[in-house]
Amino acid sequence: MKTKILVANRGEIALRIIRAVQELGHSAVAIFETPDNNAMHVRVADEAICLGDGPRSDYLNIDKVIKAAKKSGATAIHPGYGFLAENYHFAFACEEAGITFIGPPSGVIKRLGDKVVARKIMSDAGIPMVPGTENLLAGDEGEAQAIAFGNEYGYPIMLKATGGGGGRGIREIGNEGQLREEISIARAEALSAFNDDNIYIEKVVINAKHVEVQIIADKDGNVVHLGTRDCSIQRRKQKLVEIAPSMIKAQGVLDKICETAVTVAKASEYRNAGTVEFLVDKDLNFFFMEVNTRVQVEHTVTEMITGIDIVRTQIKLALGRNLSFTQEDVKLRGHAIEMRINAEDPQNNFMPEGGKTVSFYRSPGGYGVRLDGFVYQGYTIPQVYDSLLVKLTVQGYSWNETVDRLRRCLKNFVIAGPKTTIPFYLRLIDEPDFQSGEFDTSFMETHSHLMEYTEDKSEVSKLARLIAEIHYRQMNLYAV
Amino acid sequence: MNIIRQDMSVAEVLKTLRGADGYFITNTARDLSQSDFKNRILFHTDMLAAKPREKAGYFSLEITGGASVHVDILRKQVDPFLKLELLREKMPNTLFQTLCRGVNLFGYRPYPQNVIRMTVREFAKYVDVWRVFDFMNHIPNMQAVFEEVQAAGRILEPSICFSTGPEHTDEYYVKKVGEILDVTGDEIILCIKNHGGLGTPKRIGELVAAIKEKYPDLVIHYHGHNTDSNDIGRITSAVLNGATIVDAGDHSFTGYYGPPPILTVIHTLRDHGIEPVGVDEKAVIETADVLRPERDHYDYFESQFKGFAPTVQIHKLPGGAMGSSFEQAVKGDFLDKISTILHDELPKVQIELGNFWSVTPGSQILWTTAVSHILEGERYANPSGDLKNVLLGRYGEFPFNRPADWIYEKVFGSDWKKILEEEGGVEDIEDIDVEKERADLTKRLGHAPTEQQLVTYFQHPNDAVEFFKFEEKFGQTYVLPPSIFLRRGGYKVGETLEFTDCNGKEHVIEIGPTQTNEKGETSVYMTVDHHQRVYLFEPEIPEGAVAGASQLSKEEVAEFAIVGDMRAPFAGNVCDIVVEEGQEVAVGDRLVILEAMKMQTPVNSEVVGKVGKIFVELGKAVNLGDKLLKIKVVE
Repeated sequence: MKTKILVANRGEIALRIIRAVQELGHSAVAIFETPDNNAMHVRVADEAICLGDGPRSDYLNIDKVIKAAKKSGATAIHPGYGFLAENYHFAFACEEAGITFIGPPSGVIKRLGDKVVARKIMSDAGIPMVPGTENLLAGDEGEAQAIAFGNEYGYPIMLKATGGGGGRGIREIGNEGQLREEISIARAEALSAFNDDNIYIEKVVINAKHVEVQIIADKDGNVVHLGTRDCSIQRRKQKLVEIAPSMIKAQGVLDKICETAVTVAKASEYRNAGTVEFLVDKDLNFFFMEVNTRVQVEHTVTEMITGIDIVRTQIKLALGRNLSFTQEDVKLRGHAIEMRINAEDPQNNFMPEGGKTVSFYRSPGGYGVRLDGFVYQGYTIPQVYDSLLVKLTVQGYSWNETVDRLRRCLKNFVIAGPKTTIPFYLRLIDEPDFQSGEFDTSFMETHSHLMEYTEDKSEVSKLARLIAEIHYRQMNLYAV
Repeated sequence: MNIIRQDMSVAEVLKTLRGADGYFITNTARDLSQSDFKNRILFHTDMLAAKPREKAGYFSLEITGGASVHVDILRKQVDPFLKLELLREKMPNTLFQTLCRGVNLFGYRPYPQNVIRMTVREFAKYVDVWRVFDFMNHIPNMQAVFEEVQAAGRILEPSICFSTGPEHTDEYYVKKVGEILDVTGDEIILCIKNHGGLGTPKRIGELVAAIKEKYPDLVIHYHGHNTDSNDIGRITSAVLNGATIVDAGDHSFTGYYGPPPILTVIHTLRDHGIEPVGVDEKAVIETADVLRPERDHYDYFESQFKGFAPTVQIHKLPGGAMGSSFEQAVKGDFLDKISTILHDELPKVQIELGNFWSVTPGSQILWTTAVSHILEGERYANPSGDLKNVLLGRYGEFPFNRPADWIYEKVFGSDWKKILEEEGGVEDIEDIDVEKERADLTKRLGHAPTEQQLVTYFQHPNDAVEFFKFEEKFGQTYVLPPSIFLRRGGYKVGETLEFTDCNGKEHVIEIGPTQTNEKGETSVYMTVDHHQRVYLFEPEIPEGAVAGASQLSKEEVAEFAIVGDMRAPFAGNVCDIVVEEGQEVAVGDRLVILEAMKMQTPVNSEVVGKVGKIFVELGKAVNLGDKLLKIKVVE
């Protein structure tokens, strides 16, 4: 039966979902704020509804989104990632309105989204955990609690937004002074970003690898995992590079992590697609971190090595089907790497390049290459949203082949207008520690020399610049 | 086959010159470029010609000096030292020659003594033959250069600047030669510097003979210009009367104001039974053949006026100034007055100002004065600073007589005598503080300069900095042929440009289409070594137009911050204002928090002070450079 599905998101993930919806023969309804007037998801969807001027506030407005679904006749909503994706109120509102929420039930989102409750569930289920606190009390008492934790477990520690996720709402604190200073700003940030000013503390596991497991569960409680991903290369807790599977050589450990993830899913009565995140220390001890109750930015690497379309599966499960494959059917093939091509200037503290127009855009192609983008030539990047232009995912039989393909693809990009993270990535992938797969969450701090890349300062690129100028000015102004 | 080789000592070279049966030729490539191509012949072209020129067996290749050091960095974007180094690799045996303006070095005004000495020392690493002159023939002006050249073990070639007129007698010049020899000793080459190509063959012959009579062992190098088309005659006459070396150029590039063709010199003197020593005529022809296809690319820089200029005998402008003077007349729209200027006013001014030599910087002073007289309609009413300096004797004593009192009165007013008495005479220029200059340049470049960069900077500070920045941005562009570097009207779509970079790597660039969007931004598409590239050009803001309300750079924002003028360091929304008006703040205190693309970034105080006016409101969007708030700095 043809279903109308509203895609409650923007950017590349909106496009990704619309594609899956349309492939299934359903029809996709886009929503947008006016700064996204010219965004690609608005054009590609079968219908599009403007929510208002935003920015961001309308994408975050549950009422408006539900109304848009009703107005368009959509009977299901896919929330993507970010915005309302992990807001249980939204899932609940959908349930109340008789709209199928493509994701876990609101109760699951609420339990797992409350990081403190989630920790309780996991510890009851015997899942290994990083030391942490419950929600900090308000005001001075909370501060005292935090300081006590710091004294007991030592620094560094992390201030985390209880309602946060996707690496947002996390501040690393190195000492008590900093803790005192940042506790209020962390609360304010949590409130503005997640509508919830609760924060809690976790001990920082030093030199940990960030390993996560993609899980999928159907309505009958069948849980299948799709293997691991490593998202250790992060900057300020924002993932930059994601790979699948993890490069940890001890297969036994990876198997154990995956089994634990399935246990986590079962313990939380999980439904639909989700991600269980772990930290793995140098001795290969692993600790549960959190469950992301949504599709991840980096789901593409898993799709590339399993051949399973996660978003398509999400929709089918939400519309009442059960899993059509079992754990035994899931086979991992080779390696995949995803890089987020952002409109940012890495050398200027990754300052976003919003407001600039992409005057020229050419993307790579060929074997083992996947692009999830929404940028197009002539597109002006809105200042009010994130700076992701396109995700590049490559797959290869061996790790080396995958890295080679990645380098080739990065070089094949031509993006004129905004500065991008591409030259930085090109420098990054030539780093021996990256090529050997030996990286953990300290990678960016311990490899700060990566920031000293030169943006193609080859002799020919400099000369070409002059030639372009002579051509443009119709004469060489430096010679007359 | 080089009879004279680069590795010979000065004594060996002079011995070879004195003992040779025949004469030698200097290829004056630099003077040819300056006289007939406004100094624009690129290093790339000289590199093309390097092999056959080396083979041709010249006494020397005049390849640097004069205005070329300045033009190298200003218009040709090539390092004046690097070019000599690279040329040396291709021309191991040929002597490199320069033209140095004494105290004025390669510029237009006197330099401090320590700059002169440093400059000569640095260039002497590459330059074998130093032709040195002074437009007043004032020997003290050349002394520092003389000393440094000799100390460096290089060949010194002091010049007597030559002109015509009743004062310019053999007696005067022979005496001048004697004064030079008193300072330099005998182990030099003497240059008769006939920069205007003045006088007849007979006159030059007489002068050479007179000098040779007094100083029979002196090696004379005759330098002339072919402005009146008669330099072959003067060269012939000079050699017949005892000159040992003469100047000429590659025939496929000869023009109207520079040197005459080398081969014509050879053919003419051959008829007199005199042969050039060591010259390979085939290599001379080969050089011309290699160069010929390049000439078209320099068309724009050739003289606006075609044809020889025999009236040079009246106006006496040096060959090196002819092209630029005509260019000035075209650009200044006074072409109709050029004959009056050249043939009436200039000769008059020249005599009035004491008949010094019309060569840099004297030629510019005479020309500018004459032009202003004609254009303004009143004589000496609006004297240039340089003219005042000449009158005050800053450049040295007048060679024959001081200009008439009425000129001084017109230029300096009724107090002129007092002014002349108090301010007149050669000025002692204080040595510069080298380490301070080095620190200044380090600051401007962002890194420590090399010794050569420092010397280049001393010549023309601002132009040098511009050049160094150009190099950082565009690389070593001397590798580009004139067909690319000097192209006018843009390249053709689909045109393929090939070149080899300074590391010897070959490249190919294909020109693609150019698009301009509605904002006026232009994208130039090119394929660089088979990779597609796009180059974006912002539309030019017309002069006088108000630029975007607050388009400050990030650097400017940082500069404002240290005086308490807090500006937005990037575009974003104000998500918190932490301070209030009147609040005291310390360095590092948080003032405002801006949010852009979900990232909150605090703006902290850079100063100690009190918060003044707050310009922003919570939740409002700000652009880069917008005013946030003011802090009254507490000292």
